[in-house]
Amino acid sequence: MPLLGSFCLLFSLALALYCFGAGIISLVRRDPASNRLGETARRAGLACFIAVSGSAFALVWAALNNDFSLAYIHAHSNKALPVAYKISALWSGQEGSLLFWAWLLAGYGFILRWRHKVDQRLVAFSSVILAGIQIFFLLLVNFTANPFGIMDRVAADGNGLNPLLQYPEMVIHPPMLYLGYVGLSVPFAFALGALIMKYPGEKWIHITRRWTMVAWLFLTCGIFLGAHWAYSVLGWGGYWAWDPVENASLLPWLSGTAFLHSVMMQEKRGMMKVWNVWLIFTTFLLTIMGDFLTRSGIVASVHAFARSDIGAWFVVMMVVTLAVCLFFFIKNRSHLKSENSLESLVSRESSFMWNNVLLLAACFFVLWGTLFPVITEWVKGHKITVGTPFFNYINVPIGLALLFLTGVGPLLAWRNTSWASIRKNFAIPAGLSFLMFIGLLALGVRPWIEPPHFSSLSDFLHFSRWLDFAHSCALITIPLATLVATTIVLEFLRGGRVLRPKLETNLFGAMFHLTHRNTRRYGGYIAHFGVALIFLGLAGSAFDKENEQPLKAGEKMQIGAYTLVSQDETQDDNANYTSYASALEVQKDGKKIGNLYPEIRIYKASQQPDHMVAIRSTAKEDLYVIYAGRNDGEVPVIKAFIKPLVSWLWIGVVVVVLGTGVALVPNAAQLKSPVLAQVASTVTAPAFEKQMEPAGVGK
Amino acid sequence: MTRFRQLALALALLCSVGRMMGADDEKARFEKVGDKMQCMCGCNQMLLKCNHVGCPVSPVMIRDLQASIKVKSDDEEVLDWFRKNYGVTAVILPSSHGFELTAWVVPPVVLTLAIGLLILIISTWRRRMPRVAAGANAALDPELESLRSRARRETEI
Repeated sequence: MPLLGSFCLLFSLALALYCFGAGIISLVRRDPASNRLGETARRAGLACFIAVSGSAFALVWAALNNDFSLAYIHAHSNKALPVAYKISALWSGQEGSLLFWAWLLAGYGFILRWRHKVDQRLVAFSSVILAGIQIFFLLLVNFTANPFGIMDRVAADGNGLNPLLQYPEMVIHPPMLYLGYVGLSVPFAFALGALIMKYPGEKWIHITRRWTMVAWLFLTCGIFLGAHWAYSVLGWGGYWAWDPVENASLLPWLSGTAFLHSVMMQEKRGMMKVWNVWLIFTTFLLTIMGDFLTRSGIVASVHAFARSDIGAWFVVMMVVTLAVCLFFFIKNRSHLKSENSLESLVSRESSFMWNNVLLLAACFFVLWGTLFPVITEWVKGHKITVGTPFFNYINVPIGLALLFLTGVGPLLAWRNTSWASIRKNFAIPAGLSFLMFIGLLALGVRPWIEPPHFSSLSDFLHFSRWLDFAHSCALITIPLATLVATTIVLEFLRGGRVLRPKLETNLFGAMFHLTHRNTRRYGGYIAHFGVALIFLGLAGSAFDKENEQPLKAGEKMQIGAYTLVSQDETQDDNANYTSYASALEVQKDGKKIGNLYPEIRIYKASQQPDHMVAIRSTAKEDLYVIYAGRNDGEVPVIKAFIKPLVSWLWIGVVVVVLGTGVALVPNAAQLKSPVLAQVASTVTAPAFEKQMEPAGVGK
Repeated sequence: MTRFRQLALALALLCSVGRMMGADDEKARFEKVGDKMQCMCGCNQMLLKCNHVGCPVSPVMIRDLQASIKVKSDDEEVLDWFRKNYGVTAVILPSSHGFELTAWVVPPVVLTLAIGLLILIISTWRRRMPRVAAGANAALDPELESLRSRARRETEI
């Protein structure tokens, strides 16, 4: 099998090279013979997927059959590992994950080339660009990080998978993240292809929209599955630590989100063409940058692969990509001339621009904080650490501004919005938001520190000495989330009320039909509603409580309104790990409400500990309990947290996924009459745009 | 009394109230400063969140932090003590002096420049608007208008 895997890898490289070379020749020559050559290039691209699949299959087969003659399998698997985790060994190490990346890329390429009739020439260009990217990853797995390296002598057992990765979510999280990362190569290929061939009109945007949304959806799922895994497994009570590798996944997500919004301006108004092209170029470059950060060892991270010299390859890839993009941009920039311009600071277009500026600013700040240790090492000779507080101080205000735009933006009219219409649309949401603000103050949420830490005027100027950052943010976030949720609910109600008499149905039926008629707009609203819920969940972290104490059987500990009573201590042993657990009875106001079983596992192959966090989740708060270890007297140490509103974070993600899914479904109008889609994509006349405005927007 | 004097008096009053209320709430300071530090055992976790079993470093660092909070009134002094004794990487917040100040200065400067640039672009576009708008109104295509009417008829509920 290892031989077959190696052969498949080499063969796939040959196929990718042919697809790239023959594809370029056919595109340059443009005669009947070259059309046939182009077809062979396309088929080579299709075959490349089969060859890479063979290679990936060989590696999984080796893991399932405990073939420890392979260095990679020896390092990332062992006999006692459950089957699902043996399969996940494919992406748990440097070499395997690169092979997995190459396989996904070949898979995306396969779908793109299979559906080439959508626009043969554009797909031919995109196919060549994807083949170029494919060559890079296949060169890596063939010559620098080959997963089929053979051991000098065969070991009896392997080192096993990192215990932290032995969790069901970890089987899904990396593939989701990789599907997102790799998927962003497709819109990049389309954008570059469209620029090279000076593609007429905006059809390429329509073709790539679904690709971009699917990739973005996978990336979103991947990021939040990772956050949920960190929350459930790492046992420190949080879900996001601004670790460089976490940041690496956030960078293309931020720029991709900016692209998904700004691309609407190009579709509807023929604007921001240069901006959009560079946004998608940047997003792709950031995915390669993410790979570089994760794999080069340039930044210290708990998630990163071991330090290796592979980083230089990614630098070369980024430089080459940037050079190619710059060359074709300079050559064909006249093709990207805007058809319209912005007319008002208060309009839908300008809200997209503000949204883009903020998203890209956040992207830059995350990159800046991530690379600042490297910069200080260059400048001062030593690395400093930039951690959570820095990222929070810098990014939370940007996040709040984005949340505000999430509520306001969709209700602004295209081209220009009058103050009268703003007042009309935002009076109720703004009123409810203000009431929420007052309510929070009444409930005791205070933005200032009690007692204040200042004794002089200069102390007063240091806001952190008297202003509590977390509580201040919560006090702003929750009313803003209310604003967003209210504007969206009102928008659905308004549309539903208009349709209800025409359809002779109830309000929910009318709102369902409304969504089906314009899935993109209302799917977007649902996703924005999810964003508001996510922010609500994030705001809850300002009110976290924690307590830690040794807890023998029969003893109690108090955290907030909860009392934890230790019932028993248990120890278990199996082929994979030894575990210690406490059985805790949870009481609230003196009444038993359930049991929790926090556990710690010591994995035998690696001797690494891993926490099995016990969580009691409600809409109001999570009771989060970990078995922190055993003290000198061998008494279990229990650490407990109360995490208010955190469930809304996960519910919000589900709503975002649902909304994006709805936005991916074709409109009822598109299904009924393709001519409407034709009109929508072509007409930019003011009269038509007036009809595209949100309900209730007047001048 | 001038407005400036009123403000100065109010601030002075606020400061003295702050002092009377007990400016040095050690527990709050401990949590606040502790959240700006990381455990130096190599686990890369925040000091107060380090949950790693039998960690030899975090209990010592936490004891040092409690002691420093007692003797040093300024949080920045406490952080500097840790930078000196545990290495600059112990503190996960760039300091507000020297080269590290750039970490704090660059983001607001970049954001201000970006917003300024955006406003400039929009103003330039708005100055050119009348010509463009006239062109856009003239571009109403009767053929597209008829397509639009047909689409409306076909999708009417």
